[in-house]
Amino acid sequence: MAEADDGAPSSVAEPLDLVRLCIDETVIVKLRGDRELKGRLHAYDSHCNLVLGDAEETIYIPDDDDDESENVRTVKKQSEMIFVRGDSVVLIAPQGGS
Amino acid sequence: MSTSHLLPLELIDKCVGYRIWVLMKGDKEFTGTLLGFDDYVNMVLVDVTEHDYSKGRTRLPKILLNGNNICMLVPGGEGPESDSMEVDA
Amino acid sequence: MENGESKGASGAGDARDPSGFLSEIIGAPVTVKLNSGATFKGTIYSVQRSHKILPIKSCDLQSVDGYMNIALESCKEIHNGKVLRDWGDCFVRGNNVTYICADEAED
Repeated sequence: MAEADDGAPSSVAEPLDLVRLCIDETVIVKLRGDRELKGRLHAYDSHCNLVLGDAEETIYIPDDDDDESENVRTVKKQSEMIFVRGDSVVLIAPQGGS
Repeated sequence: MSTSHLLPLELIDKCVGYRIWVLMKGDKEFTGTLLGFDDYVNMVLVDVTEHDYSKGRTRLPKILLNGNNICMLVPGGEGPESDSMEVDA
Repeated sequence: MENGESKGASGAGDARDPSGFLSEIIGAPVTVKLNSGATFKGTIYSVQRSHKILPIKSCDLQSVDGYMNIALESCKEIHNGKVLRDWGDCFVRGNNVTYICADEAED
């Protein structure tokens, strides 16, 4: 059966369950356009719309003079609370990796 | 006569088991043997070569290709390096 | 007979069609290429690993869904053959995915 009929709280495990495990944890979110957010995950939905608290946004600006030397300038912005629209989300990972 | 009523997905279905050349939106192409596909034209390919205009070729044993960025399919196509192709410099 | 294999244009959920491929690669090492060109190597979140955390029946596990959202463990971002970053566990939003490649087993 595709649907669990034993009344388990999460009847179907799906990739977004990984995001559920990150609720109230600090996550790093990779966004389109060389941006990243680090903050405490307050909420998410199936579109990957996110609400992050104490968020730090990092914008990576490559020096386009030379691609090789990988000189990247970063700009950081702080936000107390931020809403992220899901369509810009690329990746969500708990902080620190493994 | 019968081919005039061939639906696009039926054409792809005829390619199952054969080599196929997939042209993506953007600078990417794939050649490989088509194992299967679904209604979105997501495709499972084996013995795949990824052709990227800027980065060259990459061999991939087995992939699920997202149908979202597929532009065109060439049944039996041998890819961009095919001898039958005349490529402008 | 496996469950949840109603989709697919042909065949009944063997490894040939996309849904069959997805159930085949759970727990296996994969390379995920994104539309941006970024490459990630990792393992599809496996039954054993998830089972410890989530109160679910293992047979219900689907680490890749219909949107091609992917749950990866030991996920490393690769650039020019070098590890750019170790993400550990991560969720990749499916709309960014170009392909999922089943890596040849190294063991």
